[in-house]
Amino acid sequence: MLAYMTKRLLLALLTVWAISVLSFIIIQLPPGDFVDAYIANLSASGSVVSMAEAESLRILYGLDQPIYVQYGKWMLRVLAGDFGESMEWKRPVIVVIGDRLWLTVVLSFAALILTWGLALPIGIYSAVRQYSFGDYVFTFIGFIGLAVPNFLLALVIMYFSFTLFGANVGGLFSPEYDLAPWGWGKVWDLIKHLPLPAAILALAGTAQLIRIMRANLLDELRRPYVVTARAKGLPDTRVILKYPVRAALNPFASTIAYLFPYLVSGSIIISLVLSLPTVGPLLLKSLIAQDMFLAGTIILLLGVLTVIGTFISDLILMWVDPRIRYQMD
Amino acid sequence: MKRHATNVVGFAVALALLGTAWPSSDARAQAGGLAASGLVGKVEGAELVLDKAQMPKTFNEAPDLAALVKAGKLPPVKERVSEEPLVVKPLHQLGKYGGTWRRGFLGPGDVENGNRINASDKLLFWDYTGTKIVPSVAKAWEMSPDGKIIRISLRKGMKWSDGAPFTADDFVFWYEDLYLNKDIVPSPISDMSADGKQGKVVKIDETTVEFQFENPHFLFVELLAGDTLIGGGQSVRQAQGFTFGAYSPKHYLKQFLPKYSSEDAVNQKARAAGYENWVKAIHVHKDWSLNSELPTLGPWKMTRPINSPTFVLERNPYYWAVDTAGNQLPYIDRVVLTLAEDAEVINLRAVAGNYDMQERHITLSKLPVILENQAKGNYKVRLDLALHGADTVLQVNQSFRADPEIAKWLTNADFRRALALGIDRDQLNETFWLGIGTVGSPVPASSSPYNPGKEWDKKYANLDVAKANQMLDALGLTKKDGEGFRLRTDNGERLRIQIQGVKALLPWPQQGEMIAQHWRKIGIQADVREMERNLAMTRVRNNEHHIMMWSNGGTELLYLFPRHAIPVDPTEAFMGPEYAQWYVSNGAQGREPTDPEMKKIFDLFRSAPGKKDEADRIKIAQEIWKILVDQQYGIGTVGQSPAQFGVRIVSNKLGNIPERVCIAQHCRTPASSHPETWFFKE
Repeated sequence: MLAYMTKRLLLALLTVWAISVLSFIIIQLPPGDFVDAYIANLSASGSVVSMAEAESLRILYGLDQPIYVQYGKWMLRVLAGDFGESMEWKRPVIVVIGDRLWLTVVLSFAALILTWGLALPIGIYSAVRQYSFGDYVFTFIGFIGLAVPNFLLALVIMYFSFTLFGANVGGLFSPEYDLAPWGWGKVWDLIKHLPLPAAILALAGTAQLIRIMRANLLDELRRPYVVTARAKGLPDTRVILKYPVRAALNPFASTIAYLFPYLVSGSIIISLVLSLPTVGPLLLKSLIAQDMFLAGTIILLLGVLTVIGTFISDLILMWVDPRIRYQMD
Repeated sequence: MKRHATNVVGFAVALALLGTAWPSSDARAQAGGLAASGLVGKVEGAELVLDKAQMPKTFNEAPDLAALVKAGKLPPVKERVSEEPLVVKPLHQLGKYGGTWRRGFLGPGDVENGNRINASDKLLFWDYTGTKIVPSVAKAWEMSPDGKIIRISLRKGMKWSDGAPFTADDFVFWYEDLYLNKDIVPSPISDMSADGKQGKVVKIDETTVEFQFENPHFLFVELLAGDTLIGGGQSVRQAQGFTFGAYSPKHYLKQFLPKYSSEDAVNQKARAAGYENWVKAIHVHKDWSLNSELPTLGPWKMTRPINSPTFVLERNPYYWAVDTAGNQLPYIDRVVLTLAEDAEVINLRAVAGNYDMQERHITLSKLPVILENQAKGNYKVRLDLALHGADTVLQVNQSFRADPEIAKWLTNADFRRALALGIDRDQLNETFWLGIGTVGSPVPASSSPYNPGKEWDKKYANLDVAKANQMLDALGLTKKDGEGFRLRTDNGERLRIQIQGVKALLPWPQQGEMIAQHWRKIGIQADVREMERNLAMTRVRNNEHHIMMWSNGGTELLYLFPRHAIPVDPTEAFMGPEYAQWYVSNGAQGREPTDPEMKKIFDLFRSAPGKKDEADRIKIAQEIWKILVDQQYGIGTVGQSPAQFGVRIVSNKLGNIPERVCIAQHCRTPASSHPETWFFKE
């Protein structure tokens, strides 16, 4: 058991290191560097930049050095707990991400609760009452939810909220609270803005989860142990919730690995469309700007969280499912 | 992949906006008839009162500042505005103090958004027409007859935003301690050199500074007024890692320089603040958009940095301009810019009436929706027409070498003229400019002094397929394949010309596709290659492109921003990267052009700064434009449009707003229409 966990831990560390190297290389792959992207951006916005200025910037950011030197320097700082400075935001990477991190977590968490709160009961209902009217209704809605791209839904909802209610478009705060310091008013303002993006984020996930739950549970419901339990006269709810539902939840435990990175990155495209100040758009922009330390840190963070998530989901699986424990011994 | 994601968003938002646009074909028709639309007004703006007799004797200030004075926290307004304030006559009426100007911005890379509001911190500026140089920070200027000395007079008693005196020492500090410091500015700039010799900055007395050169530098006054490295002012030229702009707050910045303590001390200080060394630290400390403690000169000073979700500027209590009644400017208390993750969101918010005045990031294609929601959003739309000749110009690479057959045709004047005659500019205008642009050659608008004359406006810019075919046939490109495309003369394969398009200011790749369709009729196969911007620029630097699509915005003042009209700046030398290198290195690098017309352009351009009379310089520029049109190195399509910063959404609550403003690079739109005189009517 302990040997198994140590092995997993070492593998995890190796994976994280590989992720850091890969992310650094991938960020460097497109032609040009941060200064090129920056100058292109400046000249597009009506500012004049000369070759001399470009060169001085390149030296300032250390971009004149070979890539392995840049990587080595960055890694040394990362090991010391300093993730470097974002070239675009001119602030420590940690601060730039930190500003947006908890808002992202709040939003993703709200979406997650909504997803699970809706999908699990509906999935159970659909499986138990297979081919009932309710099952058909949920299946229909579920497939529509799966088929409609989230960003389109976001756009449609945004359009109607603007044309019908003249609502403030996008963002997580009203303009009057944007500048206000934190207080109950601002928290309430955030809560008022939260349902819409959370619901949009949740919708596709919900549809998918309903289908998975329904299929898993249908498999289990036909197993002999369920028949036995029923034959022994256990009440219906108890039979279903105690045994087959528990077994059907197994696949969810293994998806926790992807849950962690999702919680911090949210959905990039929806966040862009709705102009949500989350980590997703930050990652996209940093990649476009070739802001290496910022993009590298976010990708590293997502990688680490995936690895941790996998590790935890392994542990949870072991705990939930005795069969896995037996296999290991 | 990354580009795809943004494309999806852009496309999707455009789709949503289009949805709202369907019922408004009348709005489009309205936009089509420019004169009847009422959207393009007359050029107007606030004027400066330079006659000493008319200057106000008593001064007034915003109520919040008056309260601070009363509490003893601020000196009286008379001391703050300097002894010789700039007097601005507002466009319509004297304004009222108060209000917050709401605007949108796109993140830390969008510093220009703020720079352009504060651009009156330039030494010299242009009036609202964009044709006459006027004072700004400098009270007056004078050039010696030999053109070697430019003397700048400052306002007596003028102060930085923290109340410290602004004097000649701040210029010497910039020159000696920043500009000449190789750690901060590794290489000198051409603005400060006359005929290859660097000039210097010398203090004469507290309020007099001289720029001294060994050779005549007759262009220098225009450089000071233009959006150049030397003349741009503190906000734009000392932000984003740059260190130009002619003056800098010595009393504040000297604490970060080794000269005034020691290398160790400033490095320690930098590390304590979280920077690697003092050089990196000073690039942040002198950046007005990042450091709220930095003393500045603009009408508003920053209180919330640009790298936060809200970029906020508040009134500068020491601003050195007043209206004709002696009220200290600006009228508006603060400017609040809210972050949008995407430019499409800015358009949508503007349509929803969430901004009081926004011209930046508003796209022309959204005009129908913007017009439709005017009443609901309580705003008015104004279209401002640019002065430059082409929003889209096909820049033909004259130094191309990779394929001799292609190079032969790209460098052939008649071939280029035929390509120019084969473009249906009206269709482009209708499709991509909603019919609002002006079709023609790349020369600047006829209202610009640099325009070479009426006959050049439309030369080679009318669709004439028969003539184009005739010219191509005469060149010997007579053989065609089964689909009607002309064949190469060397190996008999189809002649394929590449057009490189970047989705940047305009949807260039789509425009390129339309031009490729036009060229089918003259038997020319054009391959449009949509590219990510960095890749396109890398290919240009490597001399690999055939034709690059770009705008020639800024070239209306040819000497201040020539790079998109003639290949004299290697930064973006679409018309011949090797020739540009040859030109700037005085023949040491690159390749000498063989084309006598191109050489003539270089000779003319080189001779202009030595001409004392502005009229002579303008004449030379006109000569250059004539050659450019005749040779068609750059094939113009549609220009003088509102496509760049020209679709202006203005809240009905704002007063003193001009009907039409100058939207050129040198006008620093909207700064040349004096935002400090705008006010909220209610």
